[in-house]
Amino acid sequence: MSLRRQCYEWRNISDGVKTSFLNGYPVNSVGDVNTTGFLANQPVDIFIGDVGNNIDIPGQLKAFQYVVLDSIAVFPPTLHAQIYVGTTKYFQDPDNVPSRSGGISGFIVPFPNGARWVDSAGGVTNIVNTDYTDGLKPAVIIAPGQVWGVQVTSSFDIASVTNTATEQQIQKCFVKYLLIDGGDAIVARRLLDAGWPLTVENIWKYKQDILKTHLYAGLAPLPTEVVKAKRKV
Amino acid sequence: MAIRKQIYTWELNGDGGDGTDITHYPRAGESHSIFYGDFGNVQAGKQTGFVKEDQFIVIEKMASKPGISANSYTVEGIAPNVNLTKWLPNMFVNIVIDTTNYYQDPQNVYGVGVSGTASPYPREIQEQPYYDLWPPIYVLPFQTIDIRYTLYNDITLSAGAGVWNIIPTTTMLAAVYVEYTLYDGTDAMMAQKLMRLGIPVTVGTVENYRRLLLENKGLETDTFKHYLALMESERKREEKERNNQGLARYNDYTSQD
Repeated sequence: MSLRRQCYEWRNISDGVKTSFLNGYPVNSVGDVNTTGFLANQPVDIFIGDVGNNIDIPGQLKAFQYVVLDSIAVFPPTLHAQIYVGTTKYFQDPDNVPSRSGGISGFIVPFPNGARWVDSAGGVTNIVNTDYTDGLKPAVIIAPGQVWGVQVTSSFDIASVTNTATEQQIQKCFVKYLLIDGGDAIVARRLLDAGWPLTVENIWKYKQDILKTHLYAGLAPLPTEVVKAKRKV
Repeated sequence: MAIRKQIYTWELNGDGGDGTDITHYPRAGESHSIFYGDFGNVQAGKQTGFVKEDQFIVIEKMASKPGISANSYTVEGIAPNVNLTKWLPNMFVNIVIDTTNYYQDPQNVYGVGVSGTASPYPREIQEQPYYDLWPPIYVLPFQTIDIRYTLYNDITLSAGAGVWNIIPTTTMLAAVYVEYTLYDGTDAMMAQKLMRLGIPVTVGTVENYRRLLLENKGLETDTFKHYLALMESERKREEKERNNQGLARYNDYTSQD
């Protein structure tokens, strides 16, 4: 399974004991849904930020892996998401400083698409993603050995909720990416060297071309010395 | 019927009781199969999916019931007849082929899969999916396939909160939907051939391959020359295309001489 469509989903839900929950999601029930709060304008790493579900280490690619990060979404709309690869952040302001608001907001990429939102005046709306329906174009390509992650930043302070958190009170972030590993990572490298976009279709096409080239090679006339050589059998 | 678009749905409905029956409701945090697990409408024979020697399967879509918070339920009625009418399962689905899980997290450890919020079923206007299974997953002959769900909202624990009296049999608590294409017989052989050639296995490519085979039926001794001519013309067409696109290199021009 060398080309796999992967995803990672973060919520600020905790088990009510610690602020984060490692390598999985906490079990909830009615009257036992806890969320961890965080401050406004303070980026929180969705992998290792110690808020909500986390993993042990940041995303880091092995020598035979590529990641094509092509979609990101957040909720509520006042939450923003910023992708980083190494020390470089994806979204930046026109003065070339990393986005001060924290990246792309849930008003643009709501999760799920069409999510119901109750604003501060009590108005209810469904927010739809129309600008990034195909995800990030071009996608973010993360090369072997690079460290990557996603940070979320809220425009307002998010308070912790003990036991009574509802769907609307949960902060969420969703990342979708194509994981290329094994032999396909070599193909990916060749495509990148040639300046081609890393897509499933291009990887397939490149592999077809390799096979076709081998077929042609098999049909080519043999060298004269081989043709004239004495048969041993 | 050699190429068939198939679906499989798994659903877990209420049992008409209060939700405390642990033989009817799976515990949260445990993963169970939608084919042979102990809960919901699994197959009567309780067998895992097995691809026979003359079959080839392409899994194209997988979705599950959306929703995260256990507190966002809906009840109707007056005690002692309060019915649970809507429940958010907070569920994830994973595909297991033989012993390999499809989903892994960014630290390269097996993950729980894709959530119903990212890939919802049933699909509603306010719950459009972000996740699509592209590229699709090929399941080859003699491989076993299992699709496993994990709920993170515990129904039996929630029943203890006493906010409902009855979970009606009409209330759907969790669901999984899988869409796949089943190639069998000669179409499975063609699918395997295409896969080995690195060509995507789709209904279109298999049907095209079948047409090619039928067109060339009976040529026998001339087959080799025929294929040679086909490939030669394809090579020329590609060269011309590369020239037009400005991608041609020195070798392309010299081969035209």
